[in-house]
Amino acid sequence: MILLDLELKDSPGELLKALTPISEMGINIHSVIHLREKKSDGKVPVRIVLEDLDEETLERIVERLEESGIVVTKVNNKVRKMDVDVVVIGHVVDTDIRDTIDRLNKYGLVVDLDLTMPHPFKESSARMRIVVDSKNLEDLCREMEKLSKEKDLLFIKSF
Amino acid sequence: MRVILVGFGVIGRGVIKVIKKKREYLKKKYGMDLKVVAICDSSGAAIDEKGLDLDLALEVKKKRGRISEYPGKGVTLPVTEVIRSVESDVLIEVTPTNLEDGEPARTYIIEGFKSGKHVITANKGPLALYFQELMSYARRYNRIFRYEASVGGAMPIINLARETLAGNEIIEIKGILNGTTNYILTKMEREKLDFDTVLKEAQELGIAETNPYQDISGLDTAAKIVILANSIMNMKVTIRDVKIEGITRITPEALTMANKGGYTIKLIGEVKRNKLEVGPKLIPLDDPLNVKGSLNVAKLYTDLAKEVIVVGRGAGSIETSSAILSDIINIYLQTSKG
Ligand SMILES: NC(=O)c1ccc[n+]([C@@H]2O[C@H](COP(=O)([O-])OP(=O)(O)OC[C@H]3O[C@@H](n4cnc5c(N)ncnc54)[C@H](OP(=O)(O)O)[C@@H]3O)[C@@H](O)[C@H]2O)c1
Repeated sequence: MILLDLELKDSPGELLKALTPISEMGINIHSVIHLREKKSDGKVPVRIVLEDLDEETLERIVERLEESGIVVTKVNNKVRKMDVDVVVIGHVVDTDIRDTIDRLNKYGLVVDLDLTMPHPFKESSARMRIVVDSKNLEDLCREMEKLSKEKDLLFIKSF
Repeated sequence: MRVILVGFGVIGRGVIKVIKKKREYLKKKYGMDLKVVAICDSSGAAIDEKGLDLDLALEVKKKRGRISEYPGKGVTLPVTEVIRSVESDVLIEVTPTNLEDGEPARTYIIEGFKSGKHVITANKGPLALYFQELMSYARRYNRIFRYEASVGGAMPIINLARETLAGNEIIEIKGILNGTTNYILTKMEREKLDFDTVLKEAQELGIAETNPYQDISGLDTAAKIVILANSIMNMKVTIRDVKIEGITRITPEALTMANKGGYTIKLIGEVKRNKLEVGPKLIPLDDPLNVKGSLNVAKLYTDLAKEVIVVGRGAGSIETSSAILSDIINIYLQTSKG
């Protein structure tokens, strides 16, 4: 059996969007389990149990799901994609926030950004959500460290 | 059982009060007759091989500020001399923490082992800097060395991991090990006040020390994770190996930002293979590590029991002394078996 853990948006049709490509590929879905309560960010964690598959087919499914914007967090209990959050303190805007985001996007994808309007002389703060492949997490951290030194930013991480 | 107490400040006095309060209980439950044969502070000592009058000792310290003025039995000997010359089973070391060179505690502890005493300390300095050296003295002189109060005050963690969770491998420890910073962050979050304002208020209330540097810089937490790494994860590290970031840059806006994303900000100490870190972290609001006020908390990941979480008071005279008392009882039980 294959276990796929997904994170779906809490809106109608989301589950179907995940299941359709799988059944279109002719793969049997054994069950769909709602893992736990809705997370604080409104995402709904769901586990899909499939028949046994070879590596190649499994990879194709995961890719198709990801193409349609679904976050696959774990495959057979192995972490694949994770959401990480960071709060950044410093002169976030003045130190070229576009460049900061571009550089983080080399290793992950900044999907959400929340910014306080900075007082001209005081430090401001921003919150980012980044989706990252678990294998790129270390590189992402290293990039944050570099940014932190160069731009005197403090990254407060959720991991 | 005879004990020498070195350090008669907040914790030293707490230890004496706890011994007084539990004297009958210890006799009844364990058959232990606990005698304090010497108390030292920076002025010298009071020594009585038959056991000091503890009420009198507290009174002398309160009224005169110097234990060496204890009537008839006060002396101004150097503390090392007292440790060496007074016969005792246990040395309790509670002098101030020094994270530069661990002194004078390091010398006192070594002197204790050399003169055949088991040693209990609440002091992070010597443990964070000279753990291996102190352990090797304990082994060489075949004495017991216990230091439960040095991490998390009253919150059980070292003995919990080593004794209660015996057989488990501890893979990771993560937690809030400094009450002052937790108090400050909690207050900033609740009342949207800035760091300096809350720090000043905490100092006025006696929650933060006059010199809060060790707490707010993360150094105190770093010392504690080093003790945990060495004592329960068999690592060989010192405070110089820890990556440290304090909380002085945290703003109320950042806390509000974190809250909007479902998080709070805590000063977290973390230790696992290849990671020895202290810094502010985002902690989910519903995570068990999100404890408020000046509480301490630690999450231990183990191979068999998986996660174990403890919460407790990281400071306070009587609270911290309870951890020292548990070390005293443990030594008594180990050495009186027969
Ligand atoms: N306070 C807490 O809640 C807490 C919690 C956990 C661990 N600890 C640890 O426990 C230890 C004691 O803390 P505390 O709060 O009791 O400190 P404290 O109130 O400053 O007391 C320190 C005591 O040590 C004595 N002392 C200083 N230098 C000495 C020397 N060279 N020789 C002999 N005695 C000396 C002082 O003497 P005088 O009285 O003559 O000045 C005082 O009695 C520290 O290592 C601390 O980190 C404290």
